[in-house]
Amino acid sequence: MSTELCRIKGTREGLVITISDAVQFSEVLSSLDRQLQASQSFFRGSSAKLYVEQGTLTEAQMDEIRSLIGEYGMRLNREPLTRPLPRPQVEQVMEESQEVREDNTLLVRRTIRSGQRLHYDGNVVVMGDVNAGAEVVCTGDILVLGALRGVAHAGAEGKIDATVFAFRLEPTQLRIAHVISRAPDEKLPQPSGPEIARVVENSIQLSVYNH
Amino acid sequence: MGKVIVITSGKGGVGKTTTTANLGAGLAASGQKVCLVDTDIGLRNLDVVLGLENRIVYDLLDVVEGNCRLRQALIKDKHFGEHLVLLPAAQTREKDAVNPGQMRELMERLKRDYDFVILDSPAGIEHGFKNAIAGADTAIVVTTPEISAVRDADRIIGLLEAAELYEPQLIINRVRPDMVRKGDMMDINDIDDILAISILGVVPDDQDIIVSTNRGETVVTDKRSRPGQAFRNIVRRLLGEEVPFMDLQQRKVMHWFKRILSGEAQ
Repeated sequence: MSTELCRIKGTREGLVITISDAVQFSEVLSSLDRQLQASQSFFRGSSAKLYVEQGTLTEAQMDEIRSLIGEYGMRLNREPLTRPLPRPQVEQVMEESQEVREDNTLLVRRTIRSGQRLHYDGNVVVMGDVNAGAEVVCTGDILVLGALRGVAHAGAEGKIDATVFAFRLEPTQLRIAHVISRAPDEKLPQPSGPEIARVVENSIQLSVYNH
Repeated sequence: MGKVIVITSGKGGVGKTTTTANLGAGLAASGQKVCLVDTDIGLRNLDVVLGLENRIVYDLLDVVEGNCRLRQALIKDKHFGEHLVLLPAAQTREKDAVNPGQMRELMERLKRDYDFVILDSPAGIEHGFKNAIAGADTAIVVTTPEISAVRDADRIIGLLEAAELYEPQLIINRVRPDMVRKGDMMDINDIDDILAISILGVVPDDQDIIVSTNRGETVVTDKRSRPGQAFRNIVRRLLGEEVPFMDLQQRKVMHWFKRILSGEAQ
């Protein structure tokens, strides 16, 4: 996944489109198009900064990017980045600590509704609900500050100690790394407060969250 | 300049067309100039519900393709005349015969002459849905207290937001208070909890609706009808009035009485 010539990331600076090599511009464009298509209309209405790791873009190339992301309802933010982004070296990080970078967290300030799918390389915090029929997949932890009724997959690339937290944890299905569990068929009493799910001895366990 | 409202649901059979017809008639009865547009090309039935089927000469596609003038295609209602007109859908064509750009243009024209333009959207989330929402200013999502209908409503709200139609309002149709009371039907709080958008109205289930629909009439003008009352309340809310939600439990005594008569009371 890190072989993409172009990556879209939520950072402290807002949304950043990172282009690893400006020389292969047509591949960069098709990679960007592919990713935006996969994200459906998730980024609609947001503005993104552009960061080029190698080489420079001509004004015409900038225009092409602007019109492409415009088709997906995004704008280009002309302000330069205040500091270069750390280049995420996924393989290396995995070897060192088996840990996703702490600061690599996407904050979603809305409800994710049925049919919407969110994929992210890092942690995800949703300030809203994740409704039944929606799907959140990420390589780190998932926190839902609301009700989680849909499908959540934390630690999607094998991080077995990933957790899923929600104020109301009532998912259709929970997945952590390769472990899958589903809601029981009979109706359970509603959880009284926040709960957290983690893998214990190869199965997903839910417990009341108190810290 | 009028307002274009799209009535949509995702799931079929939840009462979009009945809602469109009743809101249209209700607004017209309140003195507004209303144009109803059936966007369900190939499966039209707003004309049937209004009892206007036999008056159709031109349809939406004829207008878009320039086969007739806009005014020629607008059919006046039997009761409200100039105040309630219908632009029918084409029955013999496919949904992709018109595109969102053409719809937007058409809505701009209708908005100039009418206070409210109400679009009846087809079921589904494909081409027909995209056409229906293209020229709309706001959306009303219709659902029933069934899990599948609520799920589809949730999907639709997401799609509306993606299309920059923010803050859609919800009508919960076909609520049966007796079933809700027994816990056999989702109640309004359950639905509100999941969808979390503002509720414009709650319409009780009643056989009046079926009877009137089959006659090509609307219930909104029937003073004795409970769904008619619910639609009148929605109309007043659309016109900016604050109207409290009606008490759906009102029939409790009657219901209890009926049960005694039928010999099933404890």
